[in-house]
Amino acid sequence: MEHIITTQNLSFEYHAEEQTRHLVLKDINLQFEKGQFIGIIGHNGSGKSTLAKHFNALLLPTEGKVHVKGMDTQDTNHLWDIRQTAGLVFQNPDNQIVATIVEEDVAFGPENLGIPPDEIRERVEYALKAVGMWEYKDYPPHMLSGGQKQRVAIAGIIAMKPECIILDEPTAMLDPIGRKEVISTIKKLNKEDGITVILITHFMEEVVDADRVIVMDNGKVVLDGTPKEVFKEVALLKKIGLSVPQVTELAYQLKREGFDVPLDILTVEEMVEFLCR
Amino acid sequence: MPIKVENLSFVYNEGTPYATVALNNVTFEIQDEEFVGIIGHTGSGKSTLIQHLNGLLKPTSGKIYINGVDITDKKVSLKDIRKEVGLVFQYPEYQLFEETIFKDIAFGPTNLGLSEEEIEKRVYEAMDIVGISRELADKSPFEVSGGQKRRIAIAGILAMKPRILILDEPTAGLDPKGREEILNKIKEIHDKYKMITILVSHSMEDIARFADKIIVMNKGRIEIIGTPREVFREAEKLEKMGLGVPQITSLARELQKKGVTIPEDILTIEEAKEYIIRYLRGTKNV
Repeated sequence: MEHIITTQNLSFEYHAEEQTRHLVLKDINLQFEKGQFIGIIGHNGSGKSTLAKHFNALLLPTEGKVHVKGMDTQDTNHLWDIRQTAGLVFQNPDNQIVATIVEEDVAFGPENLGIPPDEIRERVEYALKAVGMWEYKDYPPHMLSGGQKQRVAIAGIIAMKPECIILDEPTAMLDPIGRKEVISTIKKLNKEDGITVILITHFMEEVVDADRVIVMDNGKVVLDGTPKEVFKEVALLKKIGLSVPQVTELAYQLKREGFDVPLDILTVEEMVEFLCR
Repeated sequence: MPIKVENLSFVYNEGTPYATVALNNVTFEIQDEEFVGIIGHTGSGKSTLIQHLNGLLKPTSGKIYINGVDITDKKVSLKDIRKEVGLVFQYPEYQLFEETIFKDIAFGPTNLGLSEEEIEKRVYEAMDIVGISRELADKSPFEVSGGQKRRIAIAGILAMKPRILILDEPTAGLDPKGREEILNKIKEIHDKYKMITILVSHSMEDIARFADKIIVMNKGRIEIIGTPREVFREAEKLEKMGLGVPQITSLARELQKKGVTIPEDILTIEEAKEYIIRYLRGTKNV
């Protein structure tokens, strides 16, 4: 399997004013396979956003290495190739939109790459269709809902034709409808367009269908596996301040009462099936 | 300090081609000491509604009585209303502006014209209530964590000693631990000071746990109003509005369909667990 992003002994520290060392990432070793849907969860301050910013060279390791498609992020000659390979979407859609018309905003990235106008048009159309926002191409962004704006921000990344999209809590500021829109868009990009997705989130239910879930705490990877392998560690997840779906919590409590319940139940359907089999 | 809202309607940009009806003939009452949850998706009118309750918006038509006083009456002083009705906006930490945490929390009480002694007393009390150490009083509010900033913003409202506390999505953008902390704090404050608490939230799980009464808004109207059990029994209706029920409530509904003895209006994991244990023991005995 080809690795799109790898980290070797990655450590990172922020230099605070008082000269105190604050280690945010501690010896992270990860390999991400091309085409996968990977979820990264952890509470605020666990290091997950800092890690994400290493994936497209927004931050550079204090120690260790990060490679994107074999390119060392510390090699400045590769900066543009890296950013074109791995695109980053942030939490607040309002901070990411630069133009006054949706299609111009999506064209901003490819324009900066020096792509010919005809191809930019093609890419903008492709990207807006991919996120289901083509009919809004002439809208001013402020007329859109939060979920729609976030989809436009994602289209802006898609138009750069990245192989990998990293999303840093893209739904944190959205309502349930906006969240659903964004998550189903991301899933489609992964399944149908083959784009590798790294989704950083607080919401467990968004990574239930992921190929792989990584749990961060205190700058380290504490769990790494399939959603079922990760979510059955209810006690550990709770200890580090994360929550699990209500049915998973129920399974855990039933188990503690002495019932033989599998701990990897994640959905209502699975619980019903188990109880009524 | 009960609240009574009668036939409240509000139109944005009235008289222009952009006129939008944000509230359409809304009527409800809230009794003393009630903990009320307001749910509804974006654009349903919930923020417009709460902004009427402390006089930030004036109704296009209808009446709002707080403790029997019609606050839509021009003669009523807005200052008096806002002393009683504290409103915590979404992302309130963006509104912090003072040099120190103390000064920021003191801003409201200072504007009420209280004595310096009283202001100091209230600021420290408010810090205690939200769990911000008094030692941080002279620190800049911009040097602390996101969760702490939000608690400082809430303290600024509490220091005005409102009899009605309204919070617009106080947990938005926080991680599960931060959400839990803020919600438990709000519940604690409610139980201790017995003020009316109105919580606007997207999380059905949170509302189910804390509210005595739920108001469901949709397209500017009240679609459902009642206890959490009454409201979450209307699962189909909620789903049609783009809302849902807590996951544990959907589980109970599905189990009931399969013939398991469990009420469909289960709200918490603990409740569900009891019935499921009974069911599991029952099936084993058979």
